[in-house]
Amino acid sequence: MVELKDIERYYQNGASKAWVLRNITAHIAEGEFVSIMGPSGSGKSTLLHILGMLDEPTDGEYWFLGEAVHKFNERRRTELYQQYLGFVFQAYHLIDDLTVYENLETPLLYKKVPSSERKSRIADLLDRFNMVAKKDLFPNQLSGGQQQLVGVARALIGNPRLILADEPTGNLQSPQAKEIMEVFQKLNKEDGVTIIQVTHSDVNARYGNRILHLMDGNVEREELVK
Amino acid sequence: MIKNYFNLALRHLSKNRTYAAINILGLATGVAACLLIFRLVRYELSFNTFFKNQDRIARVVTNDKSETEGEGFTPGIPVPAMDEMQQTVTQFAQFARIHTTWPTLSIPDPSGSSNAAAGRKFSTDDERETGIFAEPAFFHIFDWQWLAGDPKSSLTEPNSVVMARTMAEKCFGTWQMAVGQTVLMDNAVLLKVSGVVEDSPENSDFQCPLIISYATLKSNADLYGFHPEWGSTSSNDQAFVLLNDAGQWDAAVAALAKVGQEAHYKNSRGKRVHALQPLSDLHYDERYGSPAGTHVTRKNRLWVLSSIGLLVLVMACFNFVNLATAQAASRSREVGVRKSLGGSRGQLVAQFMGETGVIVTLAVAAGAALAAVCAPLLQYVSNVPNEQAFLSEPAAWSFLILTALVVSVGSGFYPALVLSGFEPVKALKNSITSRTVGGVSLRKVLVVGQFVIAQTLIIGTLVTISQVEFLQKMDLGFKPDLVYVIEGINSDSLNQSRFERFKNDLKALPAVKSSSFSSDVPSSGNNWASNFALGSTDDAPFNTFMKIVDADYFETYGLRLIAGKMIQPSDTARDIIVNEFMVKKLGYSNPEEVIGKKYRMGGGPLKPVVGVVADFTANSAREEMKPMAIFSRKEFYSTVGVKIAADNLPATTVEIQRLFESTFPEQVFNGQFLDERIAEFYRDEQRFSALCKGFAALAILISCLGLYGLATLSTVQRTKEIGIRKVLGASIGNVVGLLSKDFLLLVLLAALVAIPLAWYAMNAWLQDFVYRTALSWWLFAGTVGLSLVIAFVTVGVRTWSAARANPVRSLRSE
Repeated sequence: MVELKDIERYYQNGASKAWVLRNITAHIAEGEFVSIMGPSGSGKSTLLHILGMLDEPTDGEYWFLGEAVHKFNERRRTELYQQYLGFVFQAYHLIDDLTVYENLETPLLYKKVPSSERKSRIADLLDRFNMVAKKDLFPNQLSGGQQQLVGVARALIGNPRLILADEPTGNLQSPQAKEIMEVFQKLNKEDGVTIIQVTHSDVNARYGNRILHLMDGNVEREELVK
Repeated sequence: MIKNYFNLALRHLSKNRTYAAINILGLATGVAACLLIFRLVRYELSFNTFFKNQDRIARVVTNDKSETEGEGFTPGIPVPAMDEMQQTVTQFAQFARIHTTWPTLSIPDPSGSSNAAAGRKFSTDDERETGIFAEPAFFHIFDWQWLAGDPKSSLTEPNSVVMARTMAEKCFGTWQMAVGQTVLMDNAVLLKVSGVVEDSPENSDFQCPLIISYATLKSNADLYGFHPEWGSTSSNDQAFVLLNDAGQWDAAVAALAKVGQEAHYKNSRGKRVHALQPLSDLHYDERYGSPAGTHVTRKNRLWVLSSIGLLVLVMACFNFVNLATAQAASRSREVGVRKSLGGSRGQLVAQFMGETGVIVTLAVAAGAALAAVCAPLLQYVSNVPNEQAFLSEPAAWSFLILTALVVSVGSGFYPALVLSGFEPVKALKNSITSRTVGGVSLRKVLVVGQFVIAQTLIIGTLVTISQVEFLQKMDLGFKPDLVYVIEGINSDSLNQSRFERFKNDLKALPAVKSSSFSSDVPSSGNNWASNFALGSTDDAPFNTFMKIVDADYFETYGLRLIAGKMIQPSDTARDIIVNEFMVKKLGYSNPEEVIGKKYRMGGGPLKPVVGVVADFTANSAREEMKPMAIFSRKEFYSTVGVKIAADNLPATTVEIQRLFESTFPEQVFNGQFLDERIAEFYRDEQRFSALCKGFAALAILISCLGLYGLATLSTVQRTKEIGIRKVLGASIGNVVGLLSKDFLLLVLLAALVAIPLAWYAMNAWLQDFVYRTALSWWLFAGTVGLSLVIAFVTVGVRTWSAARANPVRSLRSE
């Protein structure tokens, strides 16, 4: 599904280059649940952003479902994005001015999904995440765990084939974190959604089936989870 | 989607109330100002556009070009020239002469008594209305709405009159009663009402309640100053034409240019040519004036007003752009999230434009309401009548919708482009601050732009105020205060016989110091001119202007002799006084030199010059000093001036009125103090200066709203810095200074642009006046000082509270 070839990301700093990512080559197949780990500054968030098409590599090739993302313009990337990707953030990043319902609706509006289908999809997800009673609340009226549940639901609303999660439990206490990770695991196992997450936590990383360890912008080693 | 944007916009606004209030308030005032100006301009531009044949109608005018006197323009045509035109210019389908008059009407006593004073009296309202003598063709050229009578035959008979509805109602109760009735005009001419027309619309230059058949004029030539001679050009005698075809314009002008040339204009000094003035210029050309007493509006002034309105609106848009980009940083996270949810740039632009649209719609609605509330004020600063209905006109609506669209795009597009252009990763990391958005320099340029406009308007206002003041206080060469003037007296023989008695009766009143009959007051609209000779048998190379006065004129109006003596009391011209300007213009260095010289006016007899009067302002200060001859001739008196003592003015004027009404029972009393009458000359300037005041105030308000908004944002963004500086020992003054300094520099920068701009514009405006105030430096310095103070107060209010805040709290929250 995802094919990275010699991905590089650096910042030109006068004459010298500040490397963030270097020679990243990786393959992620459909249906995998991959965790990216590494110390602060190892480049894992940047890698995730590149995978999520929010950022561009300075060099190298990024193939997604056989298409050359690195050659796309912003409009094509947006199309691809709307069709296949969902993003979950550490800080939830819900839109403060919108209710839970409207937050879930936003990606569908961008995809121009017709109104009746929007309603049924949102109702479906609210059901699945037990949030029907909270649909008219604003994000600041929810607990952190609930907000992240909305974040996950919002990532799922467009029926993505790949979910990218940037430390999805980083701001949560462990019982809530466990709940979120179980949701991910279930999605991966039962619905076949491919998931790539960045995490600090070894425990969380082991919910997946493969771990990429990053160090100073390089893939230091790969580990298969038993 | 749209509902979503709309909701979001409303929520966003209610969360950011200051921001919303500043934007809506600023835009609303801008929109209201624009709408009012739109109304004013539209009204002025609508003049005379309702006549069916408007593109084929023209007025014949006279243009003089003389090497010594420059160019002269008048709507007056010598009557014989009209005859020639009618014969030689084949392009005219219709040709109608008119002769203007301001008559007094009385309704003869039904009992049949010939005593007019017993009946009721009416006069035309001098300010706005004019009676005209007109040929039947007048109604073929201009289509009036007829209530009774026939346009073809109503003016064919002598002594017939067509009345406008209101006049007919005044005279006879209802207009249906009018036709066939008789009225007495100027106590001399019996007129039979032959038709009634609807009143002219407000936007007509033909406010003529009385249209009298031209044949009536011919049979009362002396009474109405009808002189069918080539040498007599009076603006009372005008001619309107209807062309066969609008395409024949040039041919008609060419044919007109030949009229009178061979036989009459060839040997006169300079060159005289008749030309055509299209109906569409009638309301806007000051050189020729309006045919029937209404005001003339220079198109220039309309364009200036339109640009001011537009500038005020642009300033409000600047506010919007400034606040939106300065605030963009706080919305960067939202942009990042939306992009990560698959929002394309186009969709984000649409969202932000939608929000702008909501704000603008609210502002336009508020602006329309504000304009509706303020609309009645327009009548005090312009000629626009006060009508309730103007907001319901389709034009007003179209204007509002267009404004809303233009303002939405104009002020929303740039911020939307900036916001939607954020890179999602940076936006999500909150690494976008207002300093990196949209360029600080853009905001600075916009603030400078606003203050350039505001300061230019302030300087413009101060200059117009000081010019109006200057005009009112300037030395006119005579003393207009405490002179009570009654105008519009008919100089028929009956009235002439009463002049002396009236003066004697006045003299008996203790408060009256002196009184004088004359053709007009020293400073008037009168431009009566004639060829003349002085100290030579040949005509002088320029015309003389005339005042016809009795021997008490100088004392009553406070005119000053600089040589010779007063004219002798006389009913006819026995001797003459000229003004200083004429003496100089004739090339004499000493006024004494002309005393005793013989003077001839037109083809008249020789009279001695007995005195020279110090120059005085004979017309408005807009006109140049003119050579003037002053002499007596009873049959031209129509005005009496009474110099009175300062105490108990109301009692004195009542006494004068009582005396006047008993002496001249047929006359309608029309009295006024001379200084008030002179002030009316400058009503236009006063109105313009009042408008400028209003718009300068608006411009300041809007720029201050903008500054306040920017100061708010900058203090919020610098809260932490302020905290740190205070911990390091900065005083409140230091902090306020730090935060205000940048803004004040911008205001100073704006002054550098505004001063030359305003100087140039106002200098050009002042060129309209022969007598004008100096553009003094303190006007400019004062304006800069004033805007600095206003800006400092605006910014200071905001920064003061920030500077006083406890630093511990601001640092903790960071």
